[in-house]
Amino acid sequence: MAAMQRQSVVGKDVPFERIRRITGYLVGTMDKWNDAKKAEEHDRVKHGLGPNA
Amino acid sequence: MIHSVMKRDGRIVLYDESKIAGAILKALDATGEGNASDAAKIANAVHAKLEEQTMDGEPPRIEQIQDAVEYELMKEGYETTAKAYILYRANRTRIREANTSLMRTIDEITNVDARQSDMKRDNANIDGNTAMGSMLQIGTAGAKAYNEAYLLTPEQAKAHREGDIHIHDFDFYSLTTTCCQIDIIKLFKGGFSTGHGFLREPQGIASYAALAAIAIQSNQNDQHGGQSIPNFDYGMALGVAKTFRKSYTRKLTESVEDLLDQESQEDTVKALVDQVKTAVGDGPRLETDVAEFDGRLAKLLAEQYGFAPERAQHLVATVRRRATRETDRATYQAMEGFVHNLNTMHSRAGAQTPFSSINYGTDTSPEGRMVIRNILMATDAGLGHGETCIFPIHIFKVKEGVNYNEGDPNYDLFKLSCKVSAKRLFPNYVFLDSPFNLQYYKPGHPETEVATMGCRTRVMGNVYDPDRQISFSRGNLSFTSINLPRLAIESHGDEALFYKKLDQMMDLVAKQLLDRFEIQAEKHVYNFPFLMGQGVWLDSDKLGPNDTVREVLKHGTLSIGFIGLAETLTSLYGHHHGESKEMQEKGLAIVRHMREYCDRKSQAMRMNFTLLATPAEGLSGRFVRMDQKRYGKIPGVTDREYYTNSFHVPVWYPISAFDKIQIEAPYHALTNAGHISYVELDGDTANNVEAFESVVRCMHDAGIGYGSINHPVDRDPVCGYVGVIGDVCPRCGRREGEPISEAKLRELRKMYPGGVPTFCGCE
Repeated sequence: MAAMQRQSVVGKDVPFERIRRITGYLVGTMDKWNDAKKAEEHDRVKHGLGPNA
Repeated sequence: MIHSVMKRDGRIVLYDESKIAGAILKALDATGEGNASDAAKIANAVHAKLEEQTMDGEPPRIEQIQDAVEYELMKEGYETTAKAYILYRANRTRIREANTSLMRTIDEITNVDARQSDMKRDNANIDGNTAMGSMLQIGTAGAKAYNEAYLLTPEQAKAHREGDIHIHDFDFYSLTTTCCQIDIIKLFKGGFSTGHGFLREPQGIASYAALAAIAIQSNQNDQHGGQSIPNFDYGMALGVAKTFRKSYTRKLTESVEDLLDQESQEDTVKALVDQVKTAVGDGPRLETDVAEFDGRLAKLLAEQYGFAPERAQHLVATVRRRATRETDRATYQAMEGFVHNLNTMHSRAGAQTPFSSINYGTDTSPEGRMVIRNILMATDAGLGHGETCIFPIHIFKVKEGVNYNEGDPNYDLFKLSCKVSAKRLFPNYVFLDSPFNLQYYKPGHPETEVATMGCRTRVMGNVYDPDRQISFSRGNLSFTSINLPRLAIESHGDEALFYKKLDQMMDLVAKQLLDRFEIQAEKHVYNFPFLMGQGVWLDSDKLGPNDTVREVLKHGTLSIGFIGLAETLTSLYGHHHGESKEMQEKGLAIVRHMREYCDRKSQAMRMNFTLLATPAEGLSGRFVRMDQKRYGKIPGVTDREYYTNSFHVPVWYPISAFDKIQIEAPYHALTNAGHISYVELDGDTANNVEAFESVVRCMHDAGIGYGSINHPVDRDPVCGYVGVIGDVCPRCGRREGEPISEAKLRELRKMYPGGVPTFCGCE
């Protein structure tokens, strides 16, 4: 019964993958980033394409 | 009476005065101030002093004995010896402490989950939770402790330890150099060896691509940095040409055999093709000499088999079409395999995926174009479940007259590159028209096209050998970065003092780079079996296995890097260069000053000292943590968890893409060891290919050297959706960690055939 319940749903506890660039390289997920780079990524603002910010 | 001594670890051992005399004699011998009888006399005095100091039966401690030796040496007038003895003691203490700290570090590597240990996430490409990853980190910790204690001068060790400077790849200090641009054409010519058997020169695009991945892997094991191929399109094009020639002859044979209903025409057809080859000067080529080659061949076929001329022409045209299609498919598969290989293969005891980069975009031959189109398409398709490829870094070389403007032969491929990068974050762009790159460019000489390592390392100018200002077969030897904000903080707004401190720091770094070069230069070819043994590095093919690499290494660069220009300006003047024109001038003045220092040093030493806009992965946090401890949280300077990358406008500062590019471009001209500028786009803008391309064009026109555009690329491994995911997946509607029903998954598979993974690793 327990096994059947497990089979009826997919993806429990599976995180989304979030790919970001760090020192030129891409990193598959941010789990392995160090704390400073995580903070830096968190602070990044988007740049608009207009003449001014 | 003294009978015993207490050692540092608390053990009690027998007292032996001759050991004290021995240690004193060593010090006296070193300074030449005395002999064995002097040593015995001092040891005697030490003994008497210890008798005075200790209660009856209580053993003296080692530190106490050493203090007494110092005291007696001074008292008896052996001042130089006393000084040497004190220094020796201090150094022993430093080494002992390093050992203790090393054991603590290894303990952390062994027992702490990488998610809880910042140290274990120092390099995001190593999984600190795996056996091989941990073993690599333990080796790193041991090497660092040794290098600091034995290879640095006390001044360098202090500067590195306390965060005035950062010596990059310090664990490899005594072992090797950073990186190399592998000329894949030269390497493949005549075949090569990886140390476990000889690989013949490849004969088709599939083996070209497979061996290119092996070359990257092999060279990565000889160096501590990444590996790059500067001529990926030109190199792989030769494999495409070979595949096409074979495919053409095979298809022709099959068609003739079908017509005749025979199986025995291989030799005859090959002889006909060879006959045309002799007449035309080359075998069948993709989209080249089509009319002449195919025309002659059709004529020969008609004569040989009595076909009507139109029929023979039609047959050859069909053969060409099919061979082209087959070659294109084979190229796609080869590129797909290459990308898969580079994302799954490991180097360095299995702990790392090689840091790999490929440069392409300027080969306008039909074969080169086929390579470029297919590597882009394979990257667009992603890995087995549509995942974005992490490796290699793709660098598209942008050049007017080649691919930048409408009507340029590779303009279509530039457009395609924008489409792929807007989805997959690669390629990045290197701009050959920027004046500091254009000065080296000679049409028809791909080695004069600036190529970059994906991370940004750029090696082009060559004061050691001015006739070889090329990107191929060269790389960085080592680099060390300066903590620029600290110099500013300690100058308290005094500009002149800042420049004085900066010059002193650059002197210290230049000396340290040369010390490291001395260690590297004494290595032999046999220390680098692939890099030097296979002639990958410039001029290493002229060396024997037992030669030292000193002279050929001089083709490489010694780079001085910096971090935190924005915080430096804020500390000195109150604002950063994103905020005003005046600050931009101040920022450029600082960076120009550093560049001029490097140029002077290059001329003086006839070696390539270059200025690097440091890629600062671990460093961005390390410097600022130490400076927060020293100076507290200074607004705009030390109040975040990281210092801003090199000359970048701070990531948190609101600014338009256009303005950011204009501000950062002039620094690219000054940082000849490498640079990169990023623009951050939101998901919607990035998906608009015209908007994406306009940013790339803006970079080109502003004189950026190397740039890339960041935008969020998320993926839900359950339903396979790739794009921007906020809190909820737009395709399957789940939140992070939530499951979906199997029925829902079946429904999605019907809606997106082939787009939903059949196995997500989570079942």
